[in-house]
Amino acid sequence: MSPERDQIDFDVLFVGGGPANLAGAIHLMQLAAEKNLELEVALIEKGKKIGAHALSGAVFNPRALEELMPDYLDKGFPSEKKVRGDRLYYLTKNGYHALPWSPPAMHNEGFHTVSLARLTRWLADIAESLGVSIFPGFAGKEVLFAKDGKTVVGVRTGDKGLDREGKPKKKFEPGIDLMANVTIFGEGPRGSLVGEIDRKLGIFPKDMPQVFETAIKEVIQLPEDNFFSTSEFNDIHTMGYPLGINTPGGGFIYEMDQNRVALGFITGLSYEDPMLDTYDEFMKFKTHPLVAGIIKEGKVVEQGARTIASGGYYSLPELAVDGALFAGGCASIQDLPSLKGIHVSMKSGMLAAEAAIKATGEKDFTRESLDHYTELFKKSWVNGELYKGRNFAQALARKGLSKLIHLGAQTVTQGRGIFDPMAHHGEDHTAMNVLNGTHRAKAVDRITYDGELYVDKLTGVYLSKTLHREDQPCHLVIHDPAVCVTECYEKYGNPCVRFCPGNVYEMEMEAETGKPRLKLNPSNCLHCKTCEIKDPFQNILWTCPEGGDGPNYAVL
Amino acid sequence: MEIIVLMKQVPATESFIEIAQDGRSIKTEDLNWVINPYDELALEEAIRIKETHGGSVTAVTIGQAMAQDAIRTAMAMGVDKGLLIDDPKALGADSLGTAKILAATLGTMEYDLILAGQRAVDDDSYVVGPAVAQYLDIPCITLVTKQTLSDGKIQCERTIDGGTEFVEAALPALLTTQRGLNEPRYTSLPGIMKAKKKKIDTQSLADLGIPSPAGAVSETIAMELPVTKRAGKILEGDTPEAKADLLVKALQDANFI
Repeated sequence: MSPERDQIDFDVLFVGGGPANLAGAIHLMQLAAEKNLELEVALIEKGKKIGAHALSGAVFNPRALEELMPDYLDKGFPSEKKVRGDRLYYLTKNGYHALPWSPPAMHNEGFHTVSLARLTRWLADIAESLGVSIFPGFAGKEVLFAKDGKTVVGVRTGDKGLDREGKPKKKFEPGIDLMANVTIFGEGPRGSLVGEIDRKLGIFPKDMPQVFETAIKEVIQLPEDNFFSTSEFNDIHTMGYPLGINTPGGGFIYEMDQNRVALGFITGLSYEDPMLDTYDEFMKFKTHPLVAGIIKEGKVVEQGARTIASGGYYSLPELAVDGALFAGGCASIQDLPSLKGIHVSMKSGMLAAEAAIKATGEKDFTRESLDHYTELFKKSWVNGELYKGRNFAQALARKGLSKLIHLGAQTVTQGRGIFDPMAHHGEDHTAMNVLNGTHRAKAVDRITYDGELYVDKLTGVYLSKTLHREDQPCHLVIHDPAVCVTECYEKYGNPCVRFCPGNVYEMEMEAETGKPRLKLNPSNCLHCKTCEIKDPFQNILWTCPEGGDGPNYAVL
Repeated sequence: MEIIVLMKQVPATESFIEIAQDGRSIKTEDLNWVINPYDELALEEAIRIKETHGGSVTAVTIGQAMAQDAIRTAMAMGVDKGLLIDDPKALGADSLGTAKILAATLGTMEYDLILAGQRAVDDDSYVVGPAVAQYLDIPCITLVTKQTLSDGKIQCERTIDGGTEFVEAALPALLTTQRGLNEPRYTSLPGIMKAKKKKIDTQSLADLGIPSPAGAVSETIAMELPVTKRAGKILEGDTPEAKADLLVKALQDANFI
């Protein structure tokens, strides 16, 4: 630790302002009040405000929230719509079949649809009223370890006001060291600091990889008289087209309040085709006759993208190390069969809070003490839900009929299926095929971008309200830029230009030499992390840009 | 040196503005609110003056409860005190009415210098700062890019068409800001922590002993968004002839020819 940094001490520090940490922070203050403990608790969030980087479907299972605040409905819970009924469709290129049966885990009747950006803002107000100091606009840039090299003692926030070369500008504001007895990481899927801890301490399992999906989502304003005015169901999921039966993924359409609709498409990053473009898949879904009919005469209000940690139960990391706990998506906590992460994230944060309180009471912040979280987790319903879906992602990544057989077997055997544990396909970056001329055409043939209901990638970035100060060091570290223009160009045709939903990566042809050159647009970055996950050469490291930068989601 | 900064909370520049049902105001839900960027320049300059000459800085704003966030941010930058005038009658005032309320409020306060943004980026009226100076009967220097204080006087630089103008006035005076005056600082985390503990004074017009302004003398009757440009289309063809064919077809499709 360099000595010139300011240092602030807290009892508990939450890193990340998503549902896991906000529920955790609220529960921590509740428990502290019960025990008459005076705690200094802080929460930092890299977005300009809470919710600015929060993106989810979302149909909300209230189980964790009911435990946290039984009277949540009287406290202004930001419900969009109550789910009246569900539909699961199998899409073909031009047609569709409503499936007569959908798995029980996908039945959402009675749940509420929510905007995660709004939900987190609501939770943050409650946490703040209980005494949590919330600091939006501050990014955790580096994990601070004790001299033993294994005890987490806090987080250093990012410097502000560096120029492109990393030199301080006139209004430079150095990051500070936030020290805490317990640091709870709730960074969301593929957290950059959790990644740093893993590289140092190896918290993720070696035999089961972390696997992910990328979701692109929009909120669309519909006219007053729209599909949902008369439909009996307002929670729609699709499978099949455009990804087909082999690649995991699918679409969702949920009714929101005020004649709005949440629409998204998820592409499993185990896909093999280097020519696949995540944004094109999204647009193919959106222009499918069934979907186009539902959203007709609409206008996109907001767009964004985020990855989902879909490894499931067997990919869970160690949940505690000396001085730190991991909650929510950054710990791969996701209820896969029900396609939901918010409630299990919240519960994990609440359990982490219980362990933090116990450790504080005993003044013991070692891993042995903090492993109380792991014990609570194993005994909780979250573990039960995750266990039921323990082989789900693996089965989804299987091809053709095999997928259906495995999924069917798991449904009737409480998740055990045919093999238990079932192996993952391997890490997502290993799944890509080398270009061989047989890859499918990438064109979205029926799309006309009208700038209203159908917007191109760059307009989408604009609609995410993403802003980054231009004159700052590039937050994407390309370990070896030569690989991009040689091996990657030849073997995969630079898939980064297609898997990134924000047009951050572009390949240009140099006029003089006729050779390709990588051009980065880091200020377009939606902070989804797809690049770090899917790059076949693992040549990209995503680091956190200046705090307060990135998307500014209001209703996603 | 007692400095007062007049500031306003406005929708963040990245917001998408939509016109409300009444056709003469904007929809305010889902907007992010920030301190008017020109007022940020005023806050920064005020804090710098305080840091050099001593004294204190008070931020004054008219707004609803959420305007407290703007005052807290100003405090995190280094402002000492905040006054929020929260009164429906004040919110309904036009620019001159707003200036009258502010002048009446400032009339009961001590000040050597008043700083204000040249304009708020939401209504772009440019009126409030100069009108406050007028009602207080003090000198007003607008669009300032640089200032120096000495012997109870303030010397300012203003960028004018084709050059720079140097203007001097005796204190107390009111300045409005221009881009280039300074670069507002980041709010630091310790600054935010300190600001959270400070008290914000919230007052209604009755609390301040200010009579409600008589009805607005000007009124917004309608708002319109600029006409959106339709996306262009690039015709791809291998040869000039092929491109020309495509162009002819496109023009025919659009019923132009």
